[in-house]
Amino acid sequence: MAEEKVSRRDFLLYAMGAWAAVGVGGVLYGMYKTWEPLPEVKAQATVTFDISTVQPGEIKVANWRGKPVFILRRTPDMTQCKDRSIKDEYTVVLGICTHLGCIPNWEADKKIWHCPCHGGEYDACGKNIFGPPPRPLDVPPFKIEGNNIVLGEEGPEYKQMKEKGLTA
Amino acid sequence: MKELKILLILVVIVLVGYWGIEPYAHSVMHGEVKHPDYEYKDIPKNIPTTGDPAKGKELFTANCASCHGVKKDGINPGMDANAAIASFKVVPPDLSNIGAIVDEHFLAYFIKNPQDATKNPKFAMPPMAQLSDEDVGNIVAYLKSIEKKDLDGKEITIEACGRCHSIKYQKIEAVTPKDALKDYLGKVPPDLSVMGKAKEIEYLESFINNPQNGLPGTSMPRLGLTKEATEKVVTYLDKIADPHRDQRNALGVWVLGYLVVMAGLTFAWKKKIWKNLH
Amino acid sequence: MKFMDWLDERLAVRQLIKVMLTEYYVPKNINFLWSFGVLVMLVFAILVVSGIFVLMYYKPDANLAFDSVNKTIMMDVEYGWLFRHTHAVGASIMFLVLFVHMARGIYYGSFKAPREIVWITGYILFVLMSATAFTGYLLPWGQMSYWAAQTITTLFEKIPFIGPDLVIWIRGNYIVEDATLTRFFALHVVFLPLLLIVFTAIHLYAVRIPGSNNEDGIELTKEEKKHGKGIPFWPVFMAKEFFVMSVFLIFFFYLVFYQYKFAMDPINFTPANYLQTPTHIYPEWYFLAFYEVLRGFFFSQNLGLIAFVLSMFIAAFLPWLDTSPIKSGKYRPIYKILFWIFIADFVFLTILGKLPPTGLYAWLGFAGSLVFFAFFLALPILSKIEKKKVAGGR
Repeated sequence: MAEEKVSRRDFLLYAMGAWAAVGVGGVLYGMYKTWEPLPEVKAQATVTFDISTVQPGEIKVANWRGKPVFILRRTPDMTQCKDRSIKDEYTVVLGICTHLGCIPNWEADKKIWHCPCHGGEYDACGKNIFGPPPRPLDVPPFKIEGNNIVLGEEGPEYKQMKEKGLTA
Repeated sequence: MKELKILLILVVIVLVGYWGIEPYAHSVMHGEVKHPDYEYKDIPKNIPTTGDPAKGKELFTANCASCHGVKKDGINPGMDANAAIASFKVVPPDLSNIGAIVDEHFLAYFIKNPQDATKNPKFAMPPMAQLSDEDVGNIVAYLKSIEKKDLDGKEITIEACGRCHSIKYQKIEAVTPKDALKDYLGKVPPDLSVMGKAKEIEYLESFINNPQNGLPGTSMPRLGLTKEATEKVVTYLDKIADPHRDQRNALGVWVLGYLVVMAGLTFAWKKKIWKNLH
Repeated sequence: MKFMDWLDERLAVRQLIKVMLTEYYVPKNINFLWSFGVLVMLVFAILVVSGIFVLMYYKPDANLAFDSVNKTIMMDVEYGWLFRHTHAVGASIMFLVLFVHMARGIYYGSFKAPREIVWITGYILFVLMSATAFTGYLLPWGQMSYWAAQTITTLFEKIPFIGPDLVIWIRGNYIVEDATLTRFFALHVVFLPLLLIVFTAIHLYAVRIPGSNNEDGIELTKEEKKHGKGIPFWPVFMAKEFFVMSVFLIFFFYLVFYQYKFAMDPINFTPANYLQTPTHIYPEWYFLAFYEVLRGFFFSQNLGLIAFVLSMFIAAFLPWLDTSPIKSGKYRPIYKILFWIFIADFVFLTILGKLPPTGLYAWLGFAGSLVFFAFFLALPILSKIEKKKVAGGR
């Protein structure tokens, strides 16, 4: 008799505890959601850039998610690259050294990117040609819409490159 | 039983207090909100509101287009915004949609006597006394012939209020710059981003219908909006001020449901534990 | 169980649980009004948690505060509106719960010996909570926030000699401005909550020593409570407490979701403007009664101010005003009448506090203020009468 009572009490206590845990879970979910980036931040997730404004030999920097994206229009005297370029003469790479994350500088006379931190060098295609960088400069997700490139969205061209492992 | 009695006393005290500080006190403070008068009864209705739109367009080009454009019909105003501010302290509106949002009798009378129609003696537009009643009828007919039929709340709000009011949270800037507005109206008109929360819906409808209803002596002009346009503006202001209302109402049901179950469980446990007392 | 043994060896948890919960006895003859102490703790916890989450997006700057509250928190942050509604309604309901908690203490004589320290620390907590509410109310930087701070800080001007300088010192400016906002912010989120926690600890410790009072006001020894006249705090008392908490939370979240306007005044959705006072300004409802005492002496501003300060603090002296040997109002017929007149008067003053102080309302406010003080002044007289009665053997 007494034991039965205890177990019944326990069952209710456990049920209460479980139900309270559901509530705590709900509250934690709400708290979790409050830490998500604000709409104005999310609006920066994609950036549209008109690549036709870049003159041959010129390099422009787009700000995408707080990171620099180099948009270079190559001239014939620069390194050519069939595989890392969709629109023939353009190189679009994330301007962050794959070694330790510094921002490489374009050296116009040598036509290479040179990283000030540890001397890593990349050619006009973004391929690592000297120093510690383990791989070429990353290609950001992009989608081509006429003359515009939309950074942050994965278009069919980007997906193809990604499949071939050319984006990183 | 005793506990229920105590609870009852508590509930009565709370309800009396609530009634006193909310519905009762607010009714004493604010009094009755005047009903909006969408027929604009004080406005003479003898000026015709129909006529020949083609003639109206000619008259418009000759008499109005130095300040007002009608973008939709390819008419550009004779002066740009800066020139307009220099002479009127406010940017005159483009009139493409004016026929859709303003009452026609109000519009006709307004053309002849803007200061009286808007209840604002300092209203910037000069009276078009040179126009005959028939001319006015033709112009009104013209403006009505080009109007867009179904403007939504946001469009109407921008057309009707956006000349002077900003809606910062919606990234809508007043057409007229702040300094000019201060010069024109005496102060910068308030931002409308959360106006839907600052004022009751009935108040807003009555106020937009005739600002003198809510703030006697205010320099905000009466705009002569139709009932439909007024309601759309107020609905829009209400919606942007409280964008999460649907989410809140839906979530509230879940939270309260959860707590009712919790109350049931805790009550059962309390019964069980307390049964063995005495 | 092994883990419990391990902990017990180091922290004596078994003993602690016994002392604090399973062998801490609460009298059996108490009603659900005794649950309101734990409800205060619950609301305080809700305020702290919701406060932390609104704090993550709030910006204490006169140029940014209004938008950070009404745009960022209320519109942009996922569930930000929920945390703000909870915080605003929580602050308001905190005072409802506190008032019930205090009124229960007054009715059943819980402030009397040997519980004076419980009453005094409780009263300090009430004052601290008022200060927390007042400083927090400025933070959204709306019209009501601003003018509440402006008018209440102006009250200090009446203090002889130092008043005018003191006001400027408190504001850090000639008017309520950015400096005021920032310091109120610091007080609201750090200093006052810390003090609240410290005094809560003292309050709880103090109540453990004599134990809870009861409906009859007759002290029970621990032995009496252990053998039939009491119930252990855990699980018996808490079993009831959980139910009371659940019902309270239904009420609370109903307000949060559907009836929040009383805690978030429409006037406060207009940004602060130091050049324009709103047509109607009034404090939050929980200060209305005291505010009405301030206005009640409408013929003399100085008298009103003295009365206002007195009304805020006079209840702290209850243990010395009411020295009757009979504790519980249950056995004090005259006290019962006085108590209910006082409660009715408090509600009356609260309602009047929101009405315009003109004509009849002004006189009613004056009368209500006198009744408010009459209650406290009648207590020493009543105590004498009751002392005689008891000495005369009933």
